[in-house]
Amino acid sequence: MKGAAIAFAALVAIAAGAMALAGANPIDGFAALFRGGFGEPHVPYDDHRIAETLVQTTALLFPALAVAFAFRAGLFNIGAEGQLIVGGLAAGIVGARLAAPGFVIILATLAVGALGGGAWAAIAGVLRARFGGNEVIATLMLNIIAGLLANYLIVGPLHSPGVEGAETAVLPADAWLPTLLPGTRLTIALPIALALAVAMRWFFARSVLGYELRAAGDAPEAARRAGIDLGRVALVAMTVSGAIAGIGGATIVDGVLHRFNVALSPGYGFIAIAVALVGRLDPLRIVVAAFVFGILQSGSLTMEAAANVPKDVVTLVEGLAILALAAQQYVARRGAAAA
Amino acid sequence: MSDVENFVVLTLVKSAPLIFAALAGVICERAGILNIALEGALAAAAFGAVAATYATGSPLLGIVAGMLCGALVCGALGVAATRFGVDQIVAGTGLNVVAVAAAAFGVAVVWGAAGVSPEVPSLGNVGQTVLIVVALALALGVHLVLERTPFGLRLRACGENPRAVRSAGIDPRRMRVIATLIAGAIAGLGGVYLSLAELSLYSDGMTAGRGFIALAAVIFGRWTPLGACAAAIAFGALSALQFSLQRAGVPSELMQALPYLAALLALAGIAGRARAPAADGVPF
Amino acid sequence: MHGVGKTYPGDVVAVRDVDLELRAGEIVAICGENGAGKTTLATMAARILTPTTGTIEGTTRVGFVHQHFELIDRMRVWENVALGNEPRRGLRLDRAAARERVRALGNANGMDVDPDAVVETLPVGIAQRVEILRELAREPEVLLLDEPTAVLAPSEIDALFATLRALAARGIAIAIVTHKLQEVIAHAHRAVVMRAGAIVAHFDDVATTSAQEIARAMVGGEIPALAAHAPTALVPRLIVRDLCAGDDASGLRSATFAVRAGEIVGFAGVEGNGQTALADALGGVIPHRGTIELDGAELGGGPRARIAAGVRTIAQDRRREALVLPWSIVDNAVLGDERGPVFARSARRARAKEIVERFDVRTKSLDTAVDALSGGNQQKVVVGRTLANDPKVVIAYQPTRGIDVGAAALVASRLIEARNGGVAVLLVSFELDELFALSDRILVLFRGEIVGEFARDAFDRARIGALMAGAA
Repeated sequence: MKGAAIAFAALVAIAAGAMALAGANPIDGFAALFRGGFGEPHVPYDDHRIAETLVQTTALLFPALAVAFAFRAGLFNIGAEGQLIVGGLAAGIVGARLAAPGFVIILATLAVGALGGGAWAAIAGVLRARFGGNEVIATLMLNIIAGLLANYLIVGPLHSPGVEGAETAVLPADAWLPTLLPGTRLTIALPIALALAVAMRWFFARSVLGYELRAAGDAPEAARRAGIDLGRVALVAMTVSGAIAGIGGATIVDGVLHRFNVALSPGYGFIAIAVALVGRLDPLRIVVAAFVFGILQSGSLTMEAAANVPKDVVTLVEGLAILALAAQQYVARRGAAAA
Repeated sequence: MSDVENFVVLTLVKSAPLIFAALAGVICERAGILNIALEGALAAAAFGAVAATYATGSPLLGIVAGMLCGALVCGALGVAATRFGVDQIVAGTGLNVVAVAAAAFGVAVVWGAAGVSPEVPSLGNVGQTVLIVVALALALGVHLVLERTPFGLRLRACGENPRAVRSAGIDPRRMRVIATLIAGAIAGLGGVYLSLAELSLYSDGMTAGRGFIALAAVIFGRWTPLGACAAAIAFGALSALQFSLQRAGVPSELMQALPYLAALLALAGIAGRARAPAADGVPF
Repeated sequence: MHGVGKTYPGDVVAVRDVDLELRAGEIVAICGENGAGKTTLATMAARILTPTTGTIEGTTRVGFVHQHFELIDRMRVWENVALGNEPRRGLRLDRAAARERVRALGNANGMDVDPDAVVETLPVGIAQRVEILRELAREPEVLLLDEPTAVLAPSEIDALFATLRALAARGIAIAIVTHKLQEVIAHAHRAVVMRAGAIVAHFDDVATTSAQEIARAMVGGEIPALAAHAPTALVPRLIVRDLCAGDDASGLRSATFAVRAGEIVGFAGVEGNGQTALADALGGVIPHRGTIELDGAELGGGPRARIAAGVRTIAQDRRREALVLPWSIVDNAVLGDERGPVFARSARRARAKEIVERFDVRTKSLDTAVDALSGGNQQKVVVGRTLANDPKVVIAYQPTRGIDVGAAALVASRLIEARNGGVAVLLVSFELDELFALSDRILVLFRGEIVGEFARDAFDRARIGALMAGAA
């Protein structure tokens, strides 16, 4: 705990320093950040701001759960960004073209989002399972290929007539994810994500497959000799991980933007790695971490507009958080081994 | 100049930053560090080079600044991985985010929020040619150092079996950090090339994934400096072909995706099963 | 060394208050059971590990040869020997000089190795020479060797000690960490015995000491007796024909043998002569040619199929191959059986409880992480789990490696009891004493083939030793 507190204080100090460097008063900067995250302090329940924070939380939660899922099985899924793009792409294309009642379209977009993200991640899974190819490199490469693929398809063969720019047509209104709070972008995506978190927790704690995935991640050689097929584990873990990220992409398309746009993610897939680490790979802690990062994300725009602090400060601090937390976890592990 | 000569020149022009980055990748991986922060190192170096040139008016100082920035990013990875026990992939991801964000932040703070710097004195065509020659010479130089010097032997040993290195009386952690610093400086030259030679400004996202293409080049080049250089040149050729092939109707995204697709194929063993250094990515 | 001690985080005292002197021209043996602290003491003497208390004075030119060599497998012999001590020509590495050094040192010390050979292609006994040469190249004044004879055949052991005696005669102080008393008696000038981290006995003139005296000092009491071998109806259970596995120098060439229900068949041999390939092939961990029949049915498939058929293995490296260290005893208790009924929470706990009780696992609770258990207790968990499913065949690979005497006796007794109950046990061990105590029959492995078979009433140490070394 002490280590985490020190890391946190250091991050705050660095953020403050960066704000000062940008010529802004750090106090104003932080204030704008929180206002952006929580809303005006003297306005009771500035719903829209909190709702926006929760929208960011949801967008981060899906890929964070995805990353954590793969991590538990011993695999590094650095490709959540690409899987989210592919899932969103599939959702956007199907959602804009399917002629069916609204709720059918909703289910379809979520399904193809999962399929798209899952298939995309499965490429890396197969490379690892059959060829022993490093999934870090594979998913990194696939991230970039995903963006290029999306660009090409949306502007080229799958271009929707009448649409300008790199996006699909708008989804029909009755196919949009129902909102939780009218007038906001907060949709049922959030409870879906929360349900996934709970399911994941159950999966790892109670199920046979979860046990085997954990064993493969924590002691691969022992798992192998106990009869667990590491190749199959790699494939399953990457595919499920990608599917979760893909659903996340689909919810952004269906719930937030109402179309697929190649710029749908400001790097959620990478920040999600930080979220997963802060949450120590535990689904419920990840929910809390996603909320904290959601505040930072939605606050960063206000911070830029109101206090003139470039929003990159937030990204910078998030990146540092990844480093600080990993180092702190190392220290904690050393301490725990002594106990 | 004939078409062929044009093509060769364009290939070299496009390959140079990749060669620098790929050599950096080789040095790190042979020492046992899987460096996925090359992209961040390139961005930081490109930004640092322009900022220093803007401040001092001298592109030569810009080169120095760029190399320092590159060394800073990669060195941070080395230190995080060895001294603080941070997993190399996690540290690399974090540093990528930090470096790119820091560069964007720097641009916003120094020049306003347009995401682009103003033009600065550049190294010009002469400078660009010099850097290309330096890149090729470095490939040979790194090869010679790795294979023919005691330092190179020790570095390679760190990537194979750091425990053996320690029992031979050498500190593998120190060697790995030194390797990342050297690699970072070389990657820095790649960033300098992008912002002071090929162009004369810095713009957000100008590295365009070259740090990741470099990783692909390392795999293709079987983790050797000469091989990675050759792979980088091959990727540069693809880039050079891009315009003519685009006219022939090949989608530009496909051309851009080729190096990454090639890397995936390499992972599937299409290029033959070469083995990465045994302790590549393994903490010590 | 004065008052040297080493305490690890968590108050684990590996070495306490040791005074030790190593003098030029002497061979000192540091003896003790597994876990006594010998290796920790030796690594401190070699200045590789820093002591938490005490001081070390004297030369810093100390060489250390590890029990599990620390060599770069993919590099050549001359590169390994040169590492850290490279001959140079200007800025460059002088390869010719490095090669010559390997030849010269090899000649001078009776350890010839091809400088250009790649280490991973060398047989284990030759690879050890490379590490010794690397240390000798630095002209040490003190040379420590940690269990150097574990991987050597008897004739190679003699050669090694001849080399060590010659080095001692040249003025080098030699210390070997060992638990093999015959070697101590035969070759050492002095011996110190460690137990639980402290030196409990000095024998300043080994020539006038007996092995029993040293053994008593090592154990500090009576060695617990083992369970008795009961008569069993010997029904053929496992029939192996022409088994070939592993394709390097340490693979299994062709093995044909049978193991009956209710017997322990011991496999004698120097490490690296096919034992691992044999165990892994039977366990389904590596592919193999030849046939394996269990109770008349052919055995195939991967580890899961073998486990389902009743073949269980006690792996040679419990930390890496048998246990999930961060997990609790409860969760480790069902690894391998998680698809069966024992996975349910209550059944799992019951299994863990049964193992802990039957095997006397010293732990505060069933939920303790196995990483926090001592080596002996970890091994008991592994063996307990292996025997808990009423297996038909048990492959026990070094089941008492690196654990204290009490735990070793308990594990051995449980194996005998399993045998008495009709289990077919294959015992792979590098300790002839253990093989002699437990086996009903001994088969000798040399270069991947079975070169001899001995029944219990005809165990012949000399003959077995000769076959292990390749004598006809």
